[in-house]
Amino acid sequence: MSTPSIAANAYASLARMSDPAGSAKSAGDASAGPSFGTLLKDAIGAVNQSSRASEAQSQAMAAGKANIVDVVTAVAETEVAVDALVAVRDKVISAYEEIMRMPI
Amino acid sequence: MDFIKSIAIAASGLRAQAGRMRTIAENIANADSSATVPGGDPYRRKIATFRSEVDRALDAKVVTFGGTKPDPSQFRLKFEPGHPSADANGNVKYPNVNSLIEMTDMREAQRSYEANINVIGASRRMIQRTIEILRS
Repeated sequence: MSTPSIAANAYASLARMSDPAGSAKSAGDASAGPSFGTLLKDAIGAVNQSSRASEAQSQAMAAGKANIVDVVTAVAETEVAVDALVAVRDKVISAYEEIMRMPI
Repeated sequence: MDFIKSIAIAASGLRAQAGRMRTIAENIANADSSATVPGGDPYRRKIATFRSEVDRALDAKVVTFGGTKPDPSQFRLKFEPGHPSADANGNVKYPNVNSLIEMTDMREAQRSYEANINVIGASRRMIQRTIEILRS
């Protein structure tokens, strides 16, 4: 039976989130895979990398060295990455606002 | 991601068709380039070739422009005794370029290019639509 343990984990993580003193202790607890912060950091890193690539391609094209096709694909890739990240950010912020509106 | 890969594969098609277009442009531009020496050979028509190649990073078969091959067909002969490139009999060899064939080839390259662009556009729209799920 795994359901009670999942519920217990959820309660424990909720307790950790609501307890500021315990947050330092929970930071070292990596049993539940990568945290959301790590996930976000990785995503931003990927977006940054792909935007650098498309910038380099655009500069090369301006200098007359790159193929227009390479520029277009690099920019499209960056656009997709940025769009996905922005969508996730909006969703996270709306969730945060939803929680802040919660009557206590 | 698969959609990004399909964009990259279609981009390889764009590059290959651009190479073919360059060859056709060369053929059309040189349609009347006769020899520089009397009795010599004029410009020989070039045929664009494509190769299928495995791209390790994409894990897919992409197309690359495989360079040009000379067209072995015969040159056009014209009787022009006063021409500087005429041979002893007064015949001038003109390139084996047929502008009608070049036009149809160009149309084909154009259509293939558009097909690849449509693949890119469709992949892009699919990605955008997927991301829109998050926004709703």
